[in-house]
Amino acid sequence: MSPLPSHPSLSLLADGVVFLTSTATLIVADVHLGKSAAFRANGLPIPEGDNARDLARLLEITRKHQATHLVIAGDFFHAPSGITPELVEALEDFLREIAITVTLVIGNHDLRIRNLPTSLNRVHHLVLEENIHITHDPANATSAHLHLAGHWHPVVKIPDGKRTSLRMPCFLLRENTLVLPAFGSFTGGAIVNPIPNDRIFVALRQQVIELPPTLIS
Amino acid sequence: MPVAALDPFFHSRGWQPFDFQKQTWQAFLAGKSGLLHAPTGQGKTLAVYLGPLAESLDGPPGCQVLWLTPLRALAADTLRALREPLTALAPHLEAEARTGDTPASLRARLRKKLPHTLVTTPESLSLMLTHPDFQEKISDLRCVIVDEWHELLGSKRGVQTELCLARLRTWLPKLRIWGLSATLGNLTEARQSLLGNAFANSAEISADMHKPLIIETLIPKEIERFPWSGHLGTRLANQVADEIERAKVTLLFTNTRSQTEIWFQELCTIRPKWKNQLAMHHGSLDRAERDLAENGLRDGSLKCVVATSSLDLGVDFSPVDQVIQIGSPKGIARLLQRAGRSGHQPGSVSRILGVPTHALELVEFAAARDAATNRKIECRTPLKKPIDLLAQHLITCAIGQPFDPDEMRREIESSQAFYNLTDHEWHWALGFISNGGSALAAYPRYHKARLENGRYTVDDKRLISQHRLSIGTISSDPSVSIKFTNGHTLGTVDESFISKIKPGSSLIFAGKQLTLIRFHQRIATVKPATRALKGQVAIWGGSKMPLSSELAHAMALQLQGHGKPTPEMTAVAPILAIQKKWSRLPADDSLLIEHTHSREGEHLFFYPFAGRLVHEGLATLVAFRISRELGESIHTTQNDYGFSLTAKRGLHLDETILRRHLSSVDLLDDLIACINTAELSRRQFREIARVSGLILQSPPGQKNRSQRELQSSASLLFEVLTRYDPDNLLLIQSRREILEKQLELTRLTAVIERLESIPMHLIETKNLTPMAFPLWAERLSATLPAGDAASRLEAMLHTLNVAANSTHQSSAIP
Repeated sequence: MSPLPSHPSLSLLADGVVFLTSTATLIVADVHLGKSAAFRANGLPIPEGDNARDLARLLEITRKHQATHLVIAGDFFHAPSGITPELVEALEDFLREIAITVTLVIGNHDLRIRNLPTSLNRVHHLVLEENIHITHDPANATSAHLHLAGHWHPVVKIPDGKRTSLRMPCFLLRENTLVLPAFGSFTGGAIVNPIPNDRIFVALRQQVIELPPTLIS
Repeated sequence: MPVAALDPFFHSRGWQPFDFQKQTWQAFLAGKSGLLHAPTGQGKTLAVYLGPLAESLDGPPGCQVLWLTPLRALAADTLRALREPLTALAPHLEAEARTGDTPASLRARLRKKLPHTLVTTPESLSLMLTHPDFQEKISDLRCVIVDEWHELLGSKRGVQTELCLARLRTWLPKLRIWGLSATLGNLTEARQSLLGNAFANSAEISADMHKPLIIETLIPKEIERFPWSGHLGTRLANQVADEIERAKVTLLFTNTRSQTEIWFQELCTIRPKWKNQLAMHHGSLDRAERDLAENGLRDGSLKCVVATSSLDLGVDFSPVDQVIQIGSPKGIARLLQRAGRSGHQPGSVSRILGVPTHALELVEFAAARDAATNRKIECRTPLKKPIDLLAQHLITCAIGQPFDPDEMRREIESSQAFYNLTDHEWHWALGFISNGGSALAAYPRYHKARLENGRYTVDDKRLISQHRLSIGTISSDPSVSIKFTNGHTLGTVDESFISKIKPGSSLIFAGKQLTLIRFHQRIATVKPATRALKGQVAIWGGSKMPLSSELAHAMALQLQGHGKPTPEMTAVAPILAIQKKWSRLPADDSLLIEHTHSREGEHLFFYPFAGRLVHEGLATLVAFRISRELGESIHTTQNDYGFSLTAKRGLHLDETILRRHLSSVDLLDDLIACINTAELSRRQFREIARVSGLILQSPPGQKNRSQRELQSSASLLFEVLTRYDPDNLLLIQSRREILEKQLELTRLTAVIERLESIPMHLIETKNLTPMAFPLWAERLSATLPAGDAASRLEAMLHTLNVAANSTHQSSAIP
């Protein structure tokens, strides 16, 4: 169910992605492929494992919802030093298997990445049906249209009892920008400081629910 | 006999060497290492320094003595103390300090040539080990002196010191190592940790000449109106001000930084005329602010300095003639250390005045005096095998000189911390510094140290400078600088505190009333408040120090009426009489449990006298075990004397059931199940990740783009490692450290075993007793969160729905 009556085909999935039902378009943000490799290349001992897992999850979600278009709202990659031959190979396999159009709206981390498979479309800004704009940085959003963005890695902190709190990745709807949670497993989060009229959505047992404002204020 | 060379120095001052000083010189000249323990202000410095000095008067020109100090703030004072005999006996020899504070010019000079005596910190020594020519530079070194060893012992910095000393012993087999320590309950263990495999045939010298020590307590005038709980204690501020008035220079110790701010404000209000004679000192103040206070103490121009443990250590403040302790002394060694800040010269009297903040602290002071007289001092337990530090040290060594793994293993095992290193741990550590983990699970494209001709070496310049930045084991949470608009820095506060203050609102910090202008990127800009406002006093996170086992035991003895009558026990008698009438007096050879009802439901109060952390663990454990059978959520609170459980119903339990909940059966499993160990170890992991080099330290002032791409939070790393490398020894270490640090697992286990073997008194009380009231009123209580994130969120949503459906009913939970 769409949280926005103006955009009935918009639906938030518990995997932290957005699905547009009318055109079967799946939108995901901040995968940060190659992050652990970038760390290792700089002398930090971080194990490998996330790229394969994150690409597999992405593939599974597109199949499950029979998506016909995958849009990455920026930061598909982490850093040039993380683009190893193994990653390029995994990415080529992924693009072949997924067999649908994959569009990358370039994020700040993607700017310096070169020599990627040509089957990955790269654009700076994208407009989808129902006039939904895709951009990486919420700062680029204009007030005229609904924007889907990433970049912030939003996480909500919910106080729960005394001296304890829950910390969950969330969707943040602020004015007319919907910020998606970071998809990658090796990505951190930034706690959202809610301002009036913010709407926050989290996944709860494979459902996305909207948090009552009293829980987050 | 070179000692004769020292005579002119003593004659010129009209001094006579003490016996312990002569003993130390002789042991040193006989080629021995050792540990000298003494209260502060006893001529310890001369005892350990003059031996090596006498021996090296005509020696080769190189560096002869290395002096390690735990605090770089102490380096300047130490240097002053060492230069005195040096000027008198050997004016041609030099002494210098090299710490993180040393200016670049002097550091460069020291890189070329080391002085006769070098004062430094464990971190700086570690850093010097990364310089390839360091071994050659110290080839004439005779002696390493480790000052305040008791402060380092039991911490990772202590282990870092042990490993550095092991390196030096390998290079210089005849090196003598001397430690200086305050009195501890485990001096032999302390000496063993310091000396490692050089322990045999070493000396332990006591300079404890039973220096007169007076512990007194400020007795509240009306005990009936004195609070049963609380921790600020400003109620006695007027009496305290009178005492300060009587003395020349007072050092007023508190237990927390916030308390320091509060007392400073209070004294300013009571005695406005002291405005320029009062100063404060705590670890979050800027160095310049702290220097003001220290210099004022040294030259006696201040009337009183309000301080935390930041002033506990060795600096010599001769003018101080009175020390006041606000609130619980927490431990006997700590009280002695603080008392030793007054009467710093040999032969004078140390005096400390205790100021209770609630009634039971009167008992604590009486108990502390008793235990101090009987020399029942706490132990400091050395750390065992911190793998993060081993990884750091191996890289440090490999940068300095390529090392052979077998030789290095022997060296590492010559330290007490790692004497029983297993093959698995050793190979894992080698793997971690070279290819990322165990040999079987190498990380692709990762390497730090390379194996070349059978030796490990690090030669990547970028990795080397990265490592040098990260040497050091004390991790600090990111904090926010407080600055005036002109750029003058006052100090730091926790982000969680400052983010709650709105621009335009006021706060109290560094003893000043300030108005927040803005908070942006780790800098909070402030201006002096234009009119006197009631601002929020800065608060810092960090757990409160628990009462030591020794003091807790001494306290239980006092409550049972052991010991001579004292003013403290006489004063607190009316309150203890109420406790006895309504219930009974707690002891530690039996366990008192009280059960009572209130509007909130049922309460159980337990008094094991085991310190705050153990009580927190016990409270969580018992709450977990009861709620497993009861299905009610239970609120817990704890203090240093006991803990309480509160539930709507179901706490009316008999002794058999209570004994089952307090049993040691399945202790570790239940603890791990109930204290969200994953969450806690994730927090602990931050320090481990820093020490082991998993998190980059960015050089001060420069944050370039490529660095930013390598930032990650420790908790994220913890998750990644848990998922893809669950056998990583650093994860295992973080679980072990968190249990020990958060719950004092060793002590908790001992306490549970004691509780199993002693009688239990279960008493039904009509009212909250004097012992129970503080637990009931404890504000920093916690709820035991039941279940995973999803069920916790569901529970909250459910509660909201219920509340919405019955808006007239208020929540029953306090």
